[in-house]
Amino acid sequence: MSDEPKIKIEGEKFKAKDRVRADRTDELYKDIPEGSTLMKIDNLHVVYRTDEKETIAVENFTLDVKKGELISIVGPSGCGKTTILRCIAGLLQPTSGSVYLGDKLCTSPGSDRGMVFQDFALFSWRSVIQNVEFGMEVAGVPKEERHDRALRYIKAVGLEKFADSRIHELSGGMKQRVGIARALVMHPAVVLMDEPFGALDAQTRNILQDMLVKIVEHSARTILFVTHSVDEALYLSDRVVVLSKRPSSIYKIIDVPGSRPRDRTSPEFTELRKTILGYLEEQNVME
Amino acid sequence: MSVNMEFRYDKHNKYHRLARSIVIAAISLTVMIWLWWMISIIADKPAIPTPYDTFVALIDLFKYGDPIHDVAISVYIEASLKKLVQGFFLALIVALPLGLIMGRFKVLREFFTPMIEVLRPIAPIAWAPIFFILFTGADGDTTWASSLVVFIGIVFPLMTNVMFGVTKIDPVTLDAAKTLGASDLQIFIKVMLPSTVPYLMNGIKIGLGIGWMCIVAAELYDGFNPGLGSYLSLMISNSSYEQAFAGIILISVLGLLTTGLAEYIHKKVNKRMGVDM
Ligand SMILES: Nc1ncnc2c1ncn2[C@@H]1O[C@H](COP(=O)(O)OP(=O)(O)OP(=O)(O)O)[C@@H](O)[C@H]1O
Ligand SMILES: [Mg+2]
Repeated sequence: MSDEPKIKIEGEKFKAKDRVRADRTDELYKDIPEGSTLMKIDNLHVVYRTDEKETIAVENFTLDVKKGELISIVGPSGCGKTTILRCIAGLLQPTSGSVYLGDKLCTSPGSDRGMVFQDFALFSWRSVIQNVEFGMEVAGVPKEERHDRALRYIKAVGLEKFADSRIHELSGGMKQRVGIARALVMHPAVVLMDEPFGALDAQTRNILQDMLVKIVEHSARTILFVTHSVDEALYLSDRVVVLSKRPSSIYKIIDVPGSRPRDRTSPEFTELRKTILGYLEEQNVME
Repeated sequence: MSVNMEFRYDKHNKYHRLARSIVIAAISLTVMIWLWWMISIIADKPAIPTPYDTFVALIDLFKYGDPIHDVAISVYIEASLKKLVQGFFLALIVALPLGLIMGRFKVLREFFTPMIEVLRPIAPIAWAPIFFILFTGADGDTTWASSLVVFIGIVFPLMTNVMFGVTKIDPVTLDAAKTLGASDLQIFIKVMLPSTVPYLMNGIKIGLGIGWMCIVAAELYDGFNPGLGSYLSLMISNSSYEQAFAGIILISVLGLLTTGLAEYIHKKVNKRMGVDM
């Protein structure tokens, strides 16, 4: 970590005072009807600068996210998917471009854009339930309520037996369940998921995908889901955004018909998968 | 009736492992005492008493106190421990905030590092003569002078460990806290502090070991205060070598207990904090 090259991101720094700190930020946008634009990502550009070179990671990324939809972002490895999510989360200041939630410009990280990390990013010194309670704790939710709510989500992700376990006692799949519960329990306006199941084996992956489908069907959520698995994208999402190679911009957007849970073996599914894999293939050809 | 006497060592059985290490340690110490005995017989000098004479002196020390002033040995032990604790807490008060801000702000780290690097190689005991001149109380009380030597011994390992802990915080946990809406202060208290605790504990463990050595060394200079170091120099100047050796053994045992306790707490804390070892 420490010998990473020094990075300078152009543009001014985010101010900490703008950070949104509240639980149930989805309520702030309850006037926006399902299916209308909730979040506008407008013309993101990200340039990474190291001592040696400049890397344009993202170029011209523009996307309207509708309330209640699950969008997958797929693209070749290293094309800038994480970079896009980090910009939306406010963890990274884009070189130019902006992110609007409703009509509010997002200028710093906050609990209105919850995030699930690829490598879990759990607090190892806290128990499972204390991890899930963290956001509510800093938002000042009373102890009783946050305990009850945390327990409900721990149950929803199937970890009720492990509520008081320490993090290092959990398997990878269990850790990511905690990560998901920790993000969802806050009811953020938008949930950002960065390859949440990428580190897991195929079977655990399928189980967690079904779990996510169940949770999403149960309580409407707006989710931006990064993955490099076309299968996963089709199985979960309403729309699939295919990115071009770096610098990544949107190559194609595909609407996925049919409601969840989906049948992975159906002809339409197979057909769509072929199409998207074709698009990704084209990326490799265009050297 | 036949008894099965066969014993097989099983390295996956924790009692076997414990028994093994106890047996080896016992053999090691026995060899050491035997060597000491040989040396004392061969050298045949009063300055090297035999283990047996030392042992007798140690028993007498607990029974009758020190043979010159008739002071109970517990008074010496207490005085030394008190200075150790004083120096330790002083070091903690200074090292913790300094280590934290140095870890957090690169400029401060860069600013303080040259100072620390210049001061660190100086043996803590080298400061003792100066501290005894500067910090001996009006009544001749030298407690603080000795404690300051301990302070010097402990403050550097403590500070560098805390600083290192802060720089080693996984940045992704900070990101997670931010996306959960934590303010900078909350991140400091709820993420940075807890993640440095294992490093702090490591610093404490190292620091207490050094501190204990410092205290005995400082007390050698200290004619006023009771303490195991001053006991030692008193006995030597009185040519009571058995008593001096008894004091040395006491110093070793107390040092082991101090670091053993710190080690135990360190392990517990690491387990609790989810640090693998
Ligand atoms: N901190 C950084 N400094 C310099 N370059 C970076 C940095 N982070 C990412 N990059 C570069 O930007 C590009 C996009 O990185 P990013 O992590 O967003 O890709 P990704 O699509 O998430 O990849 P993956 O699928 O492997 O997770 C990569 O080429 C990477 O080398
Ligand atoms: Mg990535």
